[in-house]
Amino acid sequence: MNENLFASFAAPSMMGLPIVVLIVMFPSILFPTPSRLINNRLISIQQWLIQLTSKQMLAIHNQKGRTWALMLMSLILFIGSTNLLGLLPHSFTPTTQLSMNLGMAIPLWAGTVITGLRYKTKASLAHFLPQGTPLPLIPMLVVIETISLFIQPMALAVRLTANITAGHLLIHLIGGATLALINISATTAFITFIILILLTILEFAVALIQAYVFTLLVSLYLHDNT
Amino acid sequence: MLRRMVLSAAAAAAPCLRNAALLGPGALQATRIFHTGQPSLAPVPPLPEYGGKVRLGLIPEEFFQFLYPKTGVTGPYVLGTGLILYSLSKEIYVITAETFSAISTIGLLIYVVKKYGASIGEFADKLSEQKIAQLEEVKQASIQQIQDAIDTEKSQQALVQKRHYLFDVQRNNIAMALELTYRERLHRVYREVKNRLDYHISVQNMMRRKEQEHMINWVEKHVVQSISAQQEKETIAKCIADLKLLAKKAQSQPVL
Repeated sequence: MNENLFASFAAPSMMGLPIVVLIVMFPSILFPTPSRLINNRLISIQQWLIQLTSKQMLAIHNQKGRTWALMLMSLILFIGSTNLLGLLPHSFTPTTQLSMNLGMAIPLWAGTVITGLRYKTKASLAHFLPQGTPLPLIPMLVVIETISLFIQPMALAVRLTANITAGHLLIHLIGGATLALINISATTAFITFIILILLTILEFAVALIQAYVFTLLVSLYLHDNT
Repeated sequence: MLRRMVLSAAAAAAPCLRNAALLGPGALQATRIFHTGQPSLAPVPPLPEYGGKVRLGLIPEEFFQFLYPKTGVTGPYVLGTGLILYSLSKEIYVITAETFSAISTIGLLIYVVKKYGASIGEFADKLSEQKIAQLEEVKQASIQQIQDAIDTEKSQQALVQKRHYLFDVQRNNIAMALELTYRERLHRVYREVKNRLDYHISVQNMMRRKEQEHMINWVEKHVVQSISAQQEKETIAKCIADLKLLAKKAQSQPVL
């Protein structure tokens, strides 16, 4: 069982075999393919949600940006489902690992930048200099904008990792506090338990919001570059 | 293959058997029979509409039925409680911080499912209903369109049946117009002829009147010429004597 705080974030292995691949692939089972005209309730609701989200997310893009529709929708579904499944007890959340989030963020961000440089070279390079800057500030501002461009993938990955990891840690700690306080004073333990419930509600929201934010930012980078 | 050779040899020997040789390969295949069984995919058995019954959301009803003959109604519950207490007491399941997070998460999930589960299910059903209703509407509109076309066609056919009335009326109209023209012309002819005859009659009348007047004038002239002066005086004296006699008679009569 879990002895310390780090145990729930270690890469899971059963009898020496890394099963993290299975865990990463697991959420895809929860999204069945619609095979008929009228499906069961699960598929109907998922279809409706995906339609709603995709319409809202792809509204700002032009024809070129909409070729990324499948990528963005699978991204938000994967991150959302992985985060939500991680809230179940004794589960492992792949998105707490910085390695995986970097692996998602860097290729997507690089894809948008390279698309922009390839098709609209002048316009994408012009993003380095905001409009209306006074002349002496230009060199410094170009450097700052370059730094802010290259920090985008890092920010994407670290934002997701930090949020989910922090949430899980907090739940663990407050659970531990409740456990420790039961012997000392039941009322305080009860209050702590209430805090835990509120935190769980927050974590559900955070799970969905982080997925949304990640995908939204990727889509914004895409919009700048198409 | 041997059969083919036999057939081709027979064809070489007798030209009338060449057709049999051409049928050779087909005849070979015809001895094999395909598709003897029923096609296994159709008709597809219908899917169940609702899932199996479960108790406590997890354990299927069949498990309770399975244990019922041996342990009665409370059997499975006692089994479950015993297993839980055993795992807790032997620390097979350790109470850690994770236990409380599990309690809060699972408790939250059960609360949400109990409260909003039915309405979300209804929402999903409504989505399917809308989809079916849309397609049904298209089908009904198409059927309605075809029905309207059929009705229009039928009414057109009925109208065609009644077209002869129109033709009869037109024929009657034309016949009447012809009759009218004929009678009008007849009347005109009559009038013209009467005009000419009237002319001749009036010419005759005029001639006769002129002759009469001429004769009367001639007779008057000669009579006036024949009256001498003596005769005229005698006539006037007689007239005056007659008038005096009349006057006397009139005076003797009472005035009425």
